[in-house]
Parts: sequence; C-alpha cells; structure tokens
Amino acid sequence: MLKYDILLQALVSGILMGAVYSLVSIGLTIIYGVVRIVNFAHGEFLMIGMYATYFLWAYFGIDPLVAMIINGPLLYVIGILIYKSLFRRVVLASDFTKIFLTVGLSLVLQNLALLLFTANYWSVRTFYEKMVINLWGISISYPRFIAFCGAVILSLLISLFLLKTDLGKAMRAVAQNWEVAMLMGINPDRIFMVAVGLGSAVAGVTGTIIMPYFYVFPMVGAAFVVMCFAVVISAGLGSIKGALFCGPIFGIAESLGILFVGADSGLIVAFLILLVVLIFRPSGLMGKGKL
Amino acid sequence: MLLEIKNLSKRFGGLQAINDLTLQVQEGEILGLIGPNGAGKTTLFNLISGVFTPDTGEIRFKGENITRLKPYQICKKGICRTFQIAQPFREMSVLKNIMMGAFVHSPEVNKVEKEAEEILDFVGLEGKKEMLAKELTTIDQRRLEVARALATKPKLLLLDETMAGLNPKECDEAVLLIKKIREKGVTLIVVEHVMRAIMSLSERIIVLDYGAKIAEGEPEKIRNDEKVIRAYLGEEYRRAAGK
Amino acid sequence: MRNLLFNWRDPKIYLPLILLIFLLILPIFLPTYFLHIMVTIFVFAFLSVAWNIIGGYAGQLSLGNAAFFGLGAYGAVLFTHYFNIPPWIGGVIIGGAAALFLSLLMGWACFRLRGPYFAISSLAIGEVMRLLFLHQRKITFGAEGVTVPFKGDSLLYFQFSSKVPYYYIALVMLLLGIYICWKMERSRLGYYLIAINQNQDAAEAVGINSVRTKQVALSLSALLTAMGGVFYAQYIFFIDPDFVFSLGLSIEFALMAIVGGVGSVFGPVIGAFLLRPAMEITNALLGATYMGVHLIVYGGLLITVVLLKPEGLIGWLARRYETLLKLLPGLKEKE
Repeated sequence: MLKYDILLQALVSGILMGAVYSLVSIGLTIIYGVVRIVNFAHGEFLMIGMYATYFLWAYFGIDPLVAMIINGPLLYVIGILIYKSLFRRVVLASDFTKIFLTVGLSLVLQNLALLLFTANYWSVRTFYEKMVINLWGISISYPRFIAFCGAVILSLLISLFLLKTDLGKAMRAVAQNWEVAMLMGINPDRIFMVAVGLGSAVAGVTGTIIMPYFYVFPMVGAAFVVMCFAVVISAGLGSIKGALFCGPIFGIAESLGILFVGADSGLIVAFLILLVVLIFRPSGLMGKGKL
Repeated sequence: MLLEIKNLSKRFGGLQAINDLTLQVQEGEILGLIGPNGAGKTTLFNLISGVFTPDTGEIRFKGENITRLKPYQICKKGICRTFQIAQPFREMSVLKNIMMGAFVHSPEVNKVEKEAEEILDFVGLEGKKEMLAKELTTIDQRRLEVARALATKPKLLLLDETMAGLNPKECDEAVLLIKKIREKGVTLIVVEHVMRAIMSLSERIIVLDYGAKIAEGEPEKIRNDEKVIRAYLGEEYRRAAGK
Repeated sequence: MRNLLFNWRDPKIYLPLILLIFLLILPIFLPTYFLHIMVTIFVFAFLSVAWNIIGGYAGQLSLGNAAFFGLGAYGAVLFTHYFNIPPWIGGVIIGGAAALFLSLLMGWACFRLRGPYFAISSLAIGEVMRLLFLHQRKITFGAEGVTVPFKGDSLLYFQFSSKVPYYYIALVMLLLGIYICWKMERSRLGYYLIAINQNQDAAEAVGINSVRTKQVALSLSALLTAMGGVFYAQYIFFIDPDFVFSLGLSIEFALMAIVGGVGSVFGPVIGAFLLRPAMEITNALLGATYMGVHLIVYGGLLITVVLLKPEGLIGWLARRYETLLKLLPGLKEKE
C-alpha cells in the first residue's frame, strides 16, 4: 500500500516544482496584466534563458547560479527588443491580432532553436548536481532545492518591487487603467516596455536556475507554458498573488498525477483542474472576476 | 398587471443603487420613469432585462418569475430594452441590424427580411436600409435601436433616454413614434430627462431618487410634487454650489 | 444564388464551371506526385474551412483543432486495427462523437467567459490529447504510431491503392465543406455569429444566446475536422500523436484561413492553395537537412499577415476576380 514517505516525497517535489511554475507564471501575469497581451511565446523566453545558460557553461564554465546575473539583464534586453519591434504595434489591436502575433513569434523562436541547435537534449553539469538533502525521511535534490529557494526569493523580490517602488506602482496603475495612468503623467509605452522586459527576464532567469536538473531542447518552452497558462487562469488572469499560490497547487497536482496515474500525466491532471476551475469558478481562484 | 416588481434591491460595493423598490406596470400603458442622474433608472432597466441580478426582491412578468433569467431569455419572454448609448451592430447594414431582432422568433431568412423591412418603414428609416449602422445620424441610430427592439415583438419595451440630444422637432417625431408603438399593443416604460416629452407621453410617472420611489402618479401631480422638485432642484443646487 | 439551369453565357457561371471541370479531369494527365499535392491541398483547405467556422465567423481562436483531427484519425485506425470495424463507423461515427463531446466540454468551460480563455484552453487540449495518446502506448502504440493495414481497394474500409479515388473524394469533401460554410453564412447561425462578434451585449439584448451559438459553431467545426482526420488516416496509412495532435497542425489550419481571409467562405481555400504547394516545395528543397524551416516561415508569415493585412487576401483577390469577370466575353447579368 501507499507509504507515507512516498506521498510526502511527492508533495515536497510538487512544492519545489510549483515554486518554479509560480515564477514563470508571474512573468506571464506581468505581461498580461500590464500590456494585456497573452504571451504565447513566454515558454520561448524560458528556453532562451536555458540555452544561454548552457552556452555560458559550455564555453566559459560559468555555473548556472552565477549565470543568473548575466541572463537576467540579457533576457530583459531581449524582452525590450521584442516589445519595441513587435508587441508595441499590437497594444491597441484586437485579441485576434495579439494572440496570433505571439503564436507566430513562438513558432519562429522554437524552430529557429531547432535549426540552430538541433533537437538534441542538452544539459549542464554542476558540482552539486548529485548532492542531496535528507530531511524527514525524504531526500531532496540540491539543484531542485536551490531552484526552489531562488524562485521563492525572486517571487518575493518582484512582489516587493511591484508594491513598494515607484516603478512598480506605476506598472500596477497601468495594469488597472492605462489611460488614467497616462493622465497622471505615467508614460504607458515605457511601462509596457519594462513589463515585457521584466516578464521576459523572469522567464529567462527561471530557465537558468532549472538548468542544473533539467535539460534544454527546442520545445521545452511549449511544455512549460501550457502548465503556466493553467496556473495563470486558475489564479485569475492578472493576479500575481494567485500565481504565487496556484503554482504550488499545480506542482503538487502534477506530482500526485505522476505518482498515481503515471509519468507525464502531470499535464493532464493540471488541465483537468483548469477545466474544473473554468467551469465552476471562471474568475479564477483568486481573481477579480475580470469577465 | 404586466410587470410586477417587489422589494427589489441592488448594491454595488458601497452604493445602494436600487433600494427596496416596488412598482407595477399595467398592460397597454406608457409609464414614465424619471429622476435625477444616478437615481438608478438604467440600473432598474438592467435588472429587469437580466443584465444584473438583484440582491433581494423579485420581478414577475405576466405572472412568471423572471428575476434570475439571462438577457436573451428575457428578450424571448417578451421584454426588450434599448440602450442609453446606442449599441447597433456597427458594421452591419440597417436592415440586417433589424433582422437580428426579428430572428428571435423565426430562423427563416426571407421571412425575417420582410418583417425587418416593414419595421424599417414603420420607424421612419425608409431609403436607408443598406446603409451601415455606423454611418447613421444620431436620431437615426436611435430609430434603429427602437426598430431592432421592435423586431423582437416585445410585449414590454424599455426605452432608455431615447431623446437625449435631439432637437425639439426631433423630439416631437420621437413622441409620435412612441405613441404609434403603443397603438400596436406594446406596453412601454420610458426613461427621459426631456420633461415636456415625458409629461406629454406618459399616463403615469414614477420618480426615482437614490434608488427608491419618491413619487408616483399623473404628470400634473408629479410636476407639483414637493419631493420631486426638491430632488431635481436639489441636484441643481448641488451642482451650482460646486459640491 | 447560382441558378445553374440558366445563362451559360454569364462568366460568373461559366468560369467556376470551367475551373471545376478542369479539376475533375486533372487526374488524367497529372503525375502521381502532383496528384498527391492536390489531395493535400483539398484536405487542408477543407480543414481550414472547418477552422474558419469557429475561428473566423465565431471569433473564437482555436489553437487546438488538431485535437479533433487526431480523434477522427485514431478513431478510424484503432477500430479497424482492433475490431475490424470500418473507418466509417470507427472514425466518422465514434471519432466524430468523441470530437463532438470534447467540443461540448470546451464550450461549457469557455464560452461563458470573454477574453483569451478559449484560445488558451484549446492550445492546452491539443497538447493534452497529444500526451494522452503518446503515453497510453498499450492502446494507441504511442510514439511509434499506427499503420493502417492494407486490405486491398475497398470503399467499405476506405482505402485504395491509387491516389485517384482519394483525389475525387477529397475534392467532394472540400466542395461539401464550402457548401456547408456558405449555407451557414446565410443562415440565422451565420448572422448571429457576426452579431456576437460585433457587439455581444447588444446581441444578448435581442435574444441571441451567445453561448449556444458559439457552441454550435465549435461543434460543427469539430465534426468536420474529425472527418478530415479520418480521410487523412486512410490516405497516408500512418498516423502518430506527434503529427495528428500537433500544435503546428492547429496553427496551419488557422494560418491558411488568416492568409486567405478569416470570416469568408473562400479565404481558407485560397490560403490552402497558396501555402500548401509552397510548403511542399520548401520541404522538397530543404527537406530533412533543415528541419523546421517551413515552420519558421509559417511563424514569420503569421506575424507579417497579422500586422500588415489581418483581413487576408480575399478582398484584393475578390476585386481582381470582379475585374476579370468584366473582361470576359458573354452575356452578363444586368448590373
């Protein structure tokens, strides 16, 4: 029968992974909340972060945790470039235009990666990859634990940023009503740009910190992003708090799915949860009912 | 009694928009609904037509409880409303706009097209049937709103400030049209700020203020009612004093 | 309305007729490879017309129509493989029913909401289907895919050794799809979809049940797409989850409609006639050495069209067609 410690192991795994989902979802939420664009290419920002980490490690021997310092700004700049060249043109356009723009971008980025890097799975080696923490009868792999800590710290930092800093407050103002924000002297274009840059940077940094225990391949973003969409919708589109809480929920659901149903059923379980949420509580578990 | 509203209340956050409202509408009458801005007139229409659900109270139409029905269901039951700011299907022709309303009772395109053409003439939009809705003048857009609502063959029609922004001559035309509609057997609730129009149209007037009924009766009686005067004058004084 | 009994001399009538006759006799002299391309054009045009019903007319951007496609395909193949049941039942009826059920589930979840929920959910469901069929390998054979066992030419089992019967069946399927779309556009359903798209609140106020209307559109799209899946399986004789449930496929259905013109009957057809041959050529030239190039082109094309000409080419092409009609000889309808 089912042993208590196997269940606990699954729960802990789920929470560790869930924090990562939260972080990526926060990036998605920032972009949607502020710029009102559903970024279907968000997974590709993650992927770019992962490939960047790989190359920094392969050519310069830089450890992923250090690479964060490089990848954060790198992805921020990439986000800004993508905003200036593409997103900016569709800020006022229809949902149709916005959705297919980011879908097209996703296709291009994924297949560019396929072309340049082939479909092979690549991973990095770190000195701590085999290290394990033993706690309460379960073992937690060091890389996952570090990723978890990183995700939690970054999530908190971003929340503080949005709550306390002027720029963060400006972003929240624009998210609520950009026209009014504009009348109050905030430049919406600049805020949109920062939001996309920030969202992209968050995704890229997440990619960086999961490299020690993940592998990168062109489609890695696609798998992640579906899970994150489930998180973001269940949380309530545009709710950062929601993303923080729903990440672990979905992480645990995925773990339990793998435990009870089988490998790779995590996404299916997540999707079922999503369907249930949409049917019974469409504004999301913590959303503001933006219908 | 065609429409019966009992103890209706609706609150939005800190604002009590409709406050324990009770009223009846008799079949065949033209009921005027007036009150200062923010009194809750459009909210009442939204509650009747199903856009909002009330917190308490019930709405009965021909004896049937329609309180919790959705807008399209209420339309099918025989109540249709126009919007304060006209909401036509902008990229569609005038005729097609009206056809949308007529489709409620029949899926046959040819039949519906003929019905729509008749209504088009009835409201005074002859010659404009192929124009796009967005190209119409204000008064014609209002006509279109009414036409589309009429196409749903309502027993009860809710008109929300149809005459806002019209000049006196256009107002008179509108009054005539509304009377013609009543002659066809449609009961009407008319919300208006244009006093001469509503006084001449309605057999009975209900006055709302802060979501509650403050007066009810014939136009003459309402015109001289203390509470009504205070409500309207109060508003003007408040505005003049810059509050 | 085309009144085929009268007025053969009107180019509006004889031009499409000539085109149709041309298509009908094409198999006589066209080499097999090009015949194959024509078949794929017809099939994809059909699938794109099906997508257009929900994506163009109803304005609900489905990124997961491949889910329905795959269900039709797997229904056809698996039931033949395990129970020797012809694809007309396994694919069309059972696969179709599964697709219908899935569409009802999605509609129930999403159509009461406004916003990008449907696009996101449809994307997710395509992925979920893919993973489901990938990992239930005991039933579905997983990544290896399933082959349709060849039993010789048979209409019952919907398989032929030559491409020619497929060509005609695909053509008929496409014409049927176009006809259905054309009829829908002129029916109350079509009008209602346009109304909902333009102003949902006003539509509800005049008695339009927008949830149900969208649901009908989605279910129709799902059924037709599943039929396309059945045909595809029986034509290619091999299916696997990574293709039939792929996001790339879903996007391709949408892309053809967008390039040609969403919300028009012939837009998707034009899109298919332009994009499919282009894709075949790219594949032939660059092939396996440069995997994924055609998808980069698709992505780039999607971005470009959506930014520069979101209405698609149909407007421009329709005007050229009108000009052509005027130049052609014959008795024309009075202007």
